[in-house]
Amino acid sequence: MTALLEMQGIRKRFGELVALDGVDLSVEERDVHALLGENGAGKSTLMNVLYGLYAPDGGRILLRGEDARIGGPRDAIARGIGMIHQHFMLIPPLTVTENVVLGDERTGALLDRRVIRERVRELQSRFGIEVDPDARVEDLPLGLQQRVEILKVLYRGSDLLVFDEPTAVLTPQEVDELFAIVRTLREQGKTVILITHKLREVFAVTDRITVLRLGRNAGSLVTSATTAGEIARLMVGRELRELRPRATAGSRDVVLEVTGLGALSDRGTPALLDVGLTVHAGEVLGIAGIGGNGQSELAECIMGLRRPTAGDMRIGGADVSRDGPRRTRAGGVCYVPEDRRREGLVLAFTVADNLILGKQAGPPYATFGVLDPQVIEREGALLAREFDVRPPNPLAIAGNLSGGNQQKVVLGRELSSSPRLIVVSQPSRGLDIAATEYVHDRLLEQRARGAAILLISSELDEIRALSDRIAVMYEGRIVATLPAAEATEERLGLLMAGHESAGAA
Amino acid sequence: MSGGAPTATGPGPGGPAPSVRQPAMQWATGPAVPVISVIVALLLGAVFVAATGNDPIAAYAALARGAFGTPYDITETLVSAIPLVLTGLSVAVAFRTGLFNIGAEGQLLVGALAAGAVGARFAELPGPLLMPLVILAGILAGAGYGAIAGVLKAARGVNEVITTIMLNYIVVFVMHWLLQSGPMTAPSALGTPASARIGDGAILPVILPNELVPLSRLHAGILLAALAVAVFWFLLWRTSLGYELRAVGLGARAAAQAGIDPARRMALVMAIAGAFAGLAGMIQVSGVFQRVFDGFSSGYGFDAIAVALLGKNSPLGIVAAALLFGAFAHGGAIMQSNAGISSHLVSIIQALVLFVIAAEAIVRGIAGRSRRGRKPVEAIA
Amino acid sequence: MTVDMVIGASVLAATLRLAAPILLAALGGVISERAGVVNIALEGSMLVGAFVGIVAAEQTDSIVIGVAAAIIAGTLLAGIHAIAAIHWRSDQIVSGMALNILALGLTSYLNFQLYGTTGTPADVPDLPTVADQSILVWVSLALVPLTHLFLFGTVSGLRLRAVGEHPRAAETVGIGVRRVRYAAVLASGALAGLGGAYLSLSVAHSFTDGMTAGRGFIGLAAVIFGKWSPIGALVAALLFGYGNALSTSLQGATIGDTRVPVQLLGTLPYLLTILAVAGFVGRSRPPAADGVPYEKEGH
Repeated sequence: MTALLEMQGIRKRFGELVALDGVDLSVEERDVHALLGENGAGKSTLMNVLYGLYAPDGGRILLRGEDARIGGPRDAIARGIGMIHQHFMLIPPLTVTENVVLGDERTGALLDRRVIRERVRELQSRFGIEVDPDARVEDLPLGLQQRVEILKVLYRGSDLLVFDEPTAVLTPQEVDELFAIVRTLREQGKTVILITHKLREVFAVTDRITVLRLGRNAGSLVTSATTAGEIARLMVGRELRELRPRATAGSRDVVLEVTGLGALSDRGTPALLDVGLTVHAGEVLGIAGIGGNGQSELAECIMGLRRPTAGDMRIGGADVSRDGPRRTRAGGVCYVPEDRRREGLVLAFTVADNLILGKQAGPPYATFGVLDPQVIEREGALLAREFDVRPPNPLAIAGNLSGGNQQKVVLGRELSSSPRLIVVSQPSRGLDIAATEYVHDRLLEQRARGAAILLISSELDEIRALSDRIAVMYEGRIVATLPAAEATEERLGLLMAGHESAGAA
Repeated sequence: MSGGAPTATGPGPGGPAPSVRQPAMQWATGPAVPVISVIVALLLGAVFVAATGNDPIAAYAALARGAFGTPYDITETLVSAIPLVLTGLSVAVAFRTGLFNIGAEGQLLVGALAAGAVGARFAELPGPLLMPLVILAGILAGAGYGAIAGVLKAARGVNEVITTIMLNYIVVFVMHWLLQSGPMTAPSALGTPASARIGDGAILPVILPNELVPLSRLHAGILLAALAVAVFWFLLWRTSLGYELRAVGLGARAAAQAGIDPARRMALVMAIAGAFAGLAGMIQVSGVFQRVFDGFSSGYGFDAIAVALLGKNSPLGIVAAALLFGAFAHGGAIMQSNAGISSHLVSIIQALVLFVIAAEAIVRGIAGRSRRGRKPVEAIA
Repeated sequence: MTVDMVIGASVLAATLRLAAPILLAALGGVISERAGVVNIALEGSMLVGAFVGIVAAEQTDSIVIGVAAAIIAGTLLAGIHAIAAIHWRSDQIVSGMALNILALGLTSYLNFQLYGTTGTPADVPDLPTVADQSILVWVSLALVPLTHLFLFGTVSGLRLRAVGEHPRAAETVGIGVRRVRYAAVLASGALAGLGGAYLSLSVAHSFTDGMTAGRGFIGLAAVIFGKWSPIGALVAALLFGYGNALSTSLQGATIGDTRVPVQLLGTLPYLLTILAVAGFVGRSRPPAADGVPYEKEGH
């Protein structure tokens, strides 16, 4: 039996960067196939090639054994390939029905709303996908929006459905419902490719696995005949790093104390509910959780970037609930934001200019509002060298540095002022292993110095490697706080999935 | 004119759209691209002149002679360039903060009205008292008018392109009223509604002696313009505030998390932009016309957009671009009377310059550089 | 000041007459911006429409050819904007500004070249009138429900709105974003060109330099004040036209001893639009991708 899909020797480069270096992928009909790999392994690029969004620089694609040239999404759709994008490709002000049929309306020039609604209803009952066909997409929660995406693909008669990291924005319950839908799809004769980097999902729903690493094939596996350890080794290309031994936390002085904190998200929905936590000097408190459970809002509240709607925040005993970012920072708090390219740096500025961001108004960089370029450049050169920014040129444009070196610039700026509280969000996202280790070492150095660190990360490895205590966030609440020693991966996983009872064990 | 924060399902372009409004990021340093823009525009203009049955070489020769042919012409070119320098600075300072000030024209008119009103109302005051008063009136009025768009942007997130376009028209109608039947109406010898003449103390003196360049109108406003260029440079590159403005322009979110409130800086920069344009209006009143009248500005505020873009929002670039456009303005008028070719040829060339700059990708191609695309890392993530 | 000056038949007739060109430009603006392209060159399209309309009508002695030529001229100018905004991903405001200056320069230059200082000939054919209004007034009104039906009741309209809200999503379901945007921008130029023809052929019976005098921008204001909908644009155009009619009708009128400052009525469209975008007169929200250049991925 030939495979439904064969991708052979696919190459794709973006300028200097080789994203795919001769990747193969073979998917059997009626399988759920996992495409696994770390961030930047090339999973999404490969699927964008399949869907015709990227033109490959080499390789070929076979569908049911026949050569398929896919010049764009239109070709892909015509050949029965459907994509459920990670960032939903929906038009918010249009209705569910309109979104489903868009581009393939089949109603003549005039839009016959009744006919298309009926067609969508039919599809829904066949695949057991429930969502109000007349609702406007912008009014739906993300889990339901994803169903609209699935309906879109099914409406176009796709036999091969590609899910690009579908669970990233879902609640655990929504994930279960999604997997139920995926199983129904398989029963109805569809083939599914699931892009993910979460092992739990691989074992929950897939039949076969292809692992990519750094733009190349790292292995092909049958799910029922492998282990989490084997997959993880293929993904990272080495044994998982041992947790490093370290001294117990120093003093017990409370630096940050948050009680009853509440806040709204950008969309005006509750993002934080009665959040309480403390961080001591010389301690790392890790905040674990699936992205989008209120972690970003928590960091923003502490930094004064988001107004709390309830509760109280104290730093070193002083109430900071109403402080803006300037006052918060003046009180010895620093921040390594999640999105370093947009929040951490002004990419068009030089390294030296980035290193004074937030410190531009006072000595030693300015007197009475007048800048001293010599001091800025001299200090910039010093910090760039101290934090191993490469090249160590203070006049280099930040946007031209690699991700790891950009993060070093952020760290250099934030950590050089000897803060007493450091709020860090996803500090190693998108970084290679060496840069990640560098970042971790620097943070532990600050901990040893006596700084209190609030570490927000969706990478469990990172949380467990650095934290003294671990708090788990779920749907805007802290559902448990555990000492690191008691926080096994399994227990954290359960808590992150909303099983609160795991915390009490 | 998109507004509001993108929602989870909204379009998620990986950052702000590429735009010529932020040359610091988009354009390599050096004058290659602007120079090419002007050359391309002149060539297209020549084709057009030939196509309409005229001699392009004769036309350009007449234009150049008109602008630089005699010492007098040179001083007239300078007189035309002065308001363009200031409105160019106005547009550029806003661009540097990530805002598009299309309102320089309106801000200039408000500044002129204020200067004209103060200059006429206190006409009896001696120069050392009156002149600072008139300068201040022009600057403050322009700043206040610019601030409207800035505050609306800061407080209500209103797109400044829309507000400044609207504000330009509002001031025109207010001006009609003021000069036709309102409090500033004065008997006019101009044949068009105009205000009363300002006092002698409010007049910027001609700085070239008549023996040197007979009849020259080159006035002390050129010194004010030079001072404004220096202020622009110092403000943006040597002060904390200027750093903050540029940071907001190039990375508003990064600035915000570092404690720089983008909304406040945006409100402030529109006032600063308005101040430059208001000063331009004041200079036109005090240095050239001695009064305000209907049709007072010949579109300096709109030409300013081309001046700022052509000058890449840098101080010297703006001066160079303003001189070029000043030469066009004065030379064009002479060309029409001497060579019989409509002075509107100049508008066509200016429009082409602006258009070619807007089509940056094309110019880059000509300049032999590859277009700077999205960062590869971003494309994969 | 009398009641007749405010709501008399002549004022209402003038309102329609003055609203029509604003409405045509505004409908063009609605279509273009709904597809995600800001076209501030509507003013320029109107101006070249006005000029070419007169020249063509005068040369051929045919009003039909005059109107058709005006539409084509407006479309061509918009075509340049489309290439800049869509193909080259130029800054749409800068490109639009440039084209407005170009239109003013071109028409004035050619007007000088063709007619010198004497002005355009007065013997151009006239447009037919229906119920004392130019036929184009009725055409502009009829275009309101048609545009509404197109945007909200047809497949093409659905696709156009999708492109203006989220072009990448539209692209992923096989909609040609560029094609839709080209079509929308060209249509906006055609409508503005028709508005220009109305001004020169029906109202002024001549062309003078810069005769559109910002009507394209009032049309833009009507788009925003009308919340990017055809019916909203109609309401806005009528309101702005009424303000315009009033300022003529109240010329020289007095309340008590004070002369009515009619010139200030001219600020009405702009003031109202600012209040509308600022959310003081109901929030006016543009299509999400309005004015944002679209770049295909990975090619």
